[in-house]
Amino acid sequence: MKIYKINNDKFKSIYISYNFTMELGNTKALSNNAVLASLMAKTSKKYESQKQIEQYLNLLYGANYDVNIEKYGDLYNLEFRIEFINKKFLPNKEELLNNILEFLYEMIYNPTDWSEANIEREKEFILERINERKDEKLRYGIQKAEELMCKDTPFGTYLYGEENVVKEINKEILKQTYQELIKSCVTIIVSGNLTEYDDIDKKIIDVFGKQDISKKTLAELNYNIKNNYDGKAEEVIEYQDTVQSVLSIGLSVENCNPNDFYALNLYNAILGTTPSSKLFQNVREKASLAYTVRSRFYRFKDIIIIYAGINKDDYKKATELIINQIDDIKEGKITQEEFTSAKDSLMADLLDWKDSKIAMAKMKLSNIISFNDDYLEVDKMREKMSKVTLQDIINVANKISVRKIFVLGGVVNE
Amino acid sequence: MNKIGLEVSEELGESTFSTVLDNGLQVFICKKKGFNKKIGLFGTKYGSVVNDFIDITTGERMKVPDGIAHFLEHKLFEKEGANALDLFSKMGVSSNAYTSFDQTVYYFETSEKFEESIEMLVKLIKEPYFTDENVQKEQGIIGQEISMYDDDPSFKVYFNALRAMYQVNPVRIDIAGTIESISHITKDLLYTCYNTFYSPQNMFFIVVGDVDVDETFKIIDKNIKKYESNNFSKEEIKKFIEKEPSEIAQKDITQKMEIYLPQICLGYKLDLANGKDITKNEILVSIISDMYFSKQSDFFEKEYNLGKVNSTIDMQYEGSESFSHVLISTTSTNIDEVEKDILDYVEKIKKEPIDEELFDTIKRKKIGELILSSDSLNISYRRIIDSILNKTNVYLDIEILNNLTSKDVKEFLDKLDENKRVSSKITSK
Repeated sequence: MKIYKINNDKFKSIYISYNFTMELGNTKALSNNAVLASLMAKTSKKYESQKQIEQYLNLLYGANYDVNIEKYGDLYNLEFRIEFINKKFLPNKEELLNNILEFLYEMIYNPTDWSEANIEREKEFILERINERKDEKLRYGIQKAEELMCKDTPFGTYLYGEENVVKEINKEILKQTYQELIKSCVTIIVSGNLTEYDDIDKKIIDVFGKQDISKKTLAELNYNIKNNYDGKAEEVIEYQDTVQSVLSIGLSVENCNPNDFYALNLYNAILGTTPSSKLFQNVREKASLAYTVRSRFYRFKDIIIIYAGINKDDYKKATELIINQIDDIKEGKITQEEFTSAKDSLMADLLDWKDSKIAMAKMKLSNIISFNDDYLEVDKMREKMSKVTLQDIINVANKISVRKIFVLGGVVNE
Repeated sequence: MNKIGLEVSEELGESTFSTVLDNGLQVFICKKKGFNKKIGLFGTKYGSVVNDFIDITTGERMKVPDGIAHFLEHKLFEKEGANALDLFSKMGVSSNAYTSFDQTVYYFETSEKFEESIEMLVKLIKEPYFTDENVQKEQGIIGQEISMYDDDPSFKVYFNALRAMYQVNPVRIDIAGTIESISHITKDLLYTCYNTFYSPQNMFFIVVGDVDVDETFKIIDKNIKKYESNNFSKEEIKKFIEKEPSEIAQKDITQKMEIYLPQICLGYKLDLANGKDITKNEILVSIISDMYFSKQSDFFEKEYNLGKVNSTIDMQYEGSESFSHVLISTTSTNIDEVEKDILDYVEKIKKEPIDEELFDTIKRKKIGELILSSDSLNISYRRIIDSILNKTNVYLDIEILNNLTSKDVKEFLDKLDENKRVSSKITSK
């Protein structure tokens, strides 16, 4: 059991993030874990309903508790997280820590009564998440590109799983899923104002230390199941009766190594994350084709997804223009200004992370998984980022190919 | 430098310094110790509901197309051949702007380029650059922004509720206008709105972060002074908003969209409130929402167990000098039943006595929420903007919360009038 402490006395509260991280044997496990997480978020032996949980948290000055499911590439992470106020800032210096730890223990290790009614209710809850996924067009366009890029992998499967799998879930499946969960890799991150809480890690061990968890380290888990791509980019169109179409384009990076992280982040910023980026400048500002146009780099999967909201009849024009930007970077057509502003903006983002307890906790977990580095600090990351050269960008750009083009909403026939 | 005021919140561990410059600009600095990030905001008390006013340069009354305040926001953030977002981005600084019903705000966030960012922000806002060509280009980009919202069910359900509640107040019109209305915007109209509403006496500058307060006041003052000659008049801006009848415009609006999960937004139109009461109503409604609709309520539990509601039922108050209402919103595949359940329930809780213990617990939770919120910078500037628009003290919300009683809850619930209630629904095609 690993516990990491990130202390900063500018905050008034403490955030505890209790993570179970695992490889998934098959994509069905996503559905099973989604229902399990939902059940565990809402019931335990002692607290039989959301109502009872919320009522108890109100007494702890509205401590924020929830269960978060997330994928780090192909790894599945189920996080129990709670945020509460440091006693220094409460009336009468009221101490909440012991209650908080007991509560967290109860929620994780004395789970639900496994009643059929509760299970069926949470299956319905997850089914609605699955069915409503097309309601937010831009988000769906991005997810669909992720799915097309990484077929048949946990990463390429919807976070809440699949309708037909969820429908088959029963008590036995969930109990087994729970057993696998609590035996997976546990990482605990405590972030916030730890003044007068020097021994918080010992207290956590007192409460949680006896659990039988995986001996594997996070770094031993495989977070990237590789997909093979054919030569030509595949085009997929899904018709919907919408005003706008969403265009999303999937790019893969071949022969990527962990040290390309910094260059790829910078590549992505030059391509499409800042207002100085090529996509924003050329697709939005010069050609007036979109209001939203951005790119996103997936550090665990070596892929980039570009997305834009466009007019249906601008499909061809917008696709061509976007691909031109990718080609331009390959040929080294990057101005010094584009390069510097992208780098400055990433350097500033890294510094901003220090102002958020949650961002610092998340960065810690990500760096342990992908770099096998428990103590990589923001300043060190900034230093590495500052050393990336223009040539490094051109080198990674030439490992990048367009693989999938997805259009949601349809295109106007010519 | 004029007199500097100071307001302190022990609970949040922060202090806000304020002054008014000679030209009438209000300046606020909220000191947050230890944070790297510094946020600077330059805003005007001008938003989408203002389309009828006295042109400060001619003294004549003007009517302008819907969506012009938002259009102006886009155009002002553009200089010769460059977008402001881009100019900031080149400095490694992130920036953005937004327009709401009663304000337009431009801001930057930076850790390392604070002074340069203030200089850039003032320069951008004080040096407008509108041409026929760049106005036309923007019509394309904003057209896509409007289309994006047209496909967004949460946005549609909200605006349809406003449209149902209000007969004449421009709050019933989308902030960005329509593709048709923005086609009438010209560079001359933009200059008229700019000269009138971006006059210093109608504006404010806010800084939040761990900054040197005296030095920051000086930097702002110095940069603002560079543009003294651009100001036309120190007179108060005159705007006209047609008097809204107390009756609603229509009872129901239902729109079909290509979605799976239907949405509902119920609106209760209220009498206008003054600045202090707007703040009080906001806090009261957030307490009422927690007491009666949140996950700890019997009502939510019942709806959840029956499978009618999955996510949350939210209740919120919105008020300004020209509108005042409560909205209750949620999603459900069984939207008609949920509507009936909520409406019956509202009438029921109006008749019941207040559960004192519950009220005290929720108040305790709200105090905790305030402390938790002070771990980020955003709440600090939102609180200052509210205090400017409502003409109240900065930390009035904390004072009100501490003094609130269950009697206030009771009185507020009585104001929810079924005759002034509307329903807006988005259902699937």
